[in-house]
Amino acid sequence: MLKLMKYEFRKTMFSKAILLIITAISEVVFLIGLFFNWGNGLGIGTLGLAMCAMIGIFYIGVESLLVFHRDLNTKQSYMLFLTPKNSYQVLGAKVLENGISIFVTGLFFAALAALDASLAILYLGGLKEFLDMLGQLLTNIQVNINITPGSAFMMFMTVLTSWLLMVVMGYLAIILSATVLAGKRYSGIISFVLYLILGWASGMILDKLPVYGDENMQLVVTICGSLVIIAVMYAAAGWIMERKLSV
Amino acid sequence: MLECREITKIYGRKKAVDAVSFQIEPGRIYAMLGPNGSGKTTLMKMAAGLVKPNTGGFFYNNEPVGPKSRREIAYMSTEPYFYAWMTAQDVGKYYEDFFEDFSMEQYQKLLQRMELTPDMKTKSLSSGMMAKLKIAVTMARDAKIYMLDEPLNGIDLLARDEIMRSILEASDPDKALIVSSHLVDELEKVVDVAIFVKEGHLAGMYDVEELRIRQGKSVADVYREIYGHGGEQTC
Repeated sequence: MLKLMKYEFRKTMFSKAILLIITAISEVVFLIGLFFNWGNGLGIGTLGLAMCAMIGIFYIGVESLLVFHRDLNTKQSYMLFLTPKNSYQVLGAKVLENGISIFVTGLFFAALAALDASLAILYLGGLKEFLDMLGQLLTNIQVNINITPGSAFMMFMTVLTSWLLMVVMGYLAIILSATVLAGKRYSGIISFVLYLILGWASGMILDKLPVYGDENMQLVVTICGSLVIIAVMYAAAGWIMERKLSV
Repeated sequence: MLECREITKIYGRKKAVDAVSFQIEPGRIYAMLGPNGSGKTTLMKMAAGLVKPNTGGFFYNNEPVGPKSRREIAYMSTEPYFYAWMTAQDVGKYYEDFFEDFSMEQYQKLLQRMELTPDMKTKSLSSGMMAKLKIAVTMARDAKIYMLDEPLNGIDLLARDEIMRSILEASDPDKALIVSSHLVDELEKVVDVAIFVKEGHLAGMYDVEELRIRQGKSVADVYREIYGHGGEQTC
């Protein structure tokens, strides 16, 4: 599985390198703006960094689906399907690699934002203002200390299940399209239409879940419902790939 | 070893393969012969597990072909399939990562013999060089069955000799080789069994030696009988 993940990462390395280069350029512009009191540079750099973070993370998610579509609809599919790995492992490697990439990218941009913010406050406002700001931040944390580990976990699970649902739904749509259309023209558009239909169907199922007054209980039910849908879609996708998909 | 049981594959309205059955035994080299579109490639892809049949199936040691059988069956497709970012070295590394029976040392030797270098980018290889690379990486495996789909396509005479030499070197009492080609004369010299495929049907399976001794015919003669004028009948 690790070897499959390694090659999944390798397939998307180019776009990740481009993202890193644009981020580095934006960072340099930001730093020049900061250290040379160039207001426009500061603005452009900040905007660039924010765009890189948002578009970059979004694109990493979308690219995973694009790569999978190419994997199933070109002869490069043999590279995956000639290996002694089953379809569930192939899919699992893709999901895991994408999840890790998004998580690491998110962490990277969060760390960069924290570093840049600290630098800006330190440089523009001086040490006193920075310490005041830090104090304010600590107070805020104190105020918001009612974010319990439990609710933080629930938030994390909500984000995780939403992302998993999107990705697995995308994979299933692509597999269905590739199985029926076998690499014919418009398979990309058909995959997208199937993705919308699957999204609509999942929404319908989640809407049928019982409604609870308690917000946390409602979240638990939605997360559990989503996990069941994800498991069913993952099993269906693997089964179709293993038994029906011709590449 | 490898058994094809009543296998049928339909694309749209066309039956690419129709109720074909045969068995592959170890220690023999098989030629799969037939004109374009006769169903040879589809049969090989089904044996490799890339194409799923509508009915019937391929069985390796009595189990349906799948991820497990791919550990012991080496398949070389006629189309190029390597990732565009790969060099010849990356291709070897990929096979080394996934196939326990792959020998990097053997691969390097075969690359050298085929006059390829590890730093060559796959996307810039000519069709002949690509064919040689595919052969090198496939034959560097110590597989039980080798299936080579049109390995001599687009290859010059000298390279053909190298490829035939690599194929012959892989023959072993425990291994079977299946080679598909239009080039009947090239294969006739090395194969033990000829499988003729015509319009998705098995048109005949002959022991080449027996054919020569008992019927006084060459593989090329039978090919002409089956596919030439008056060769409409299939068995």
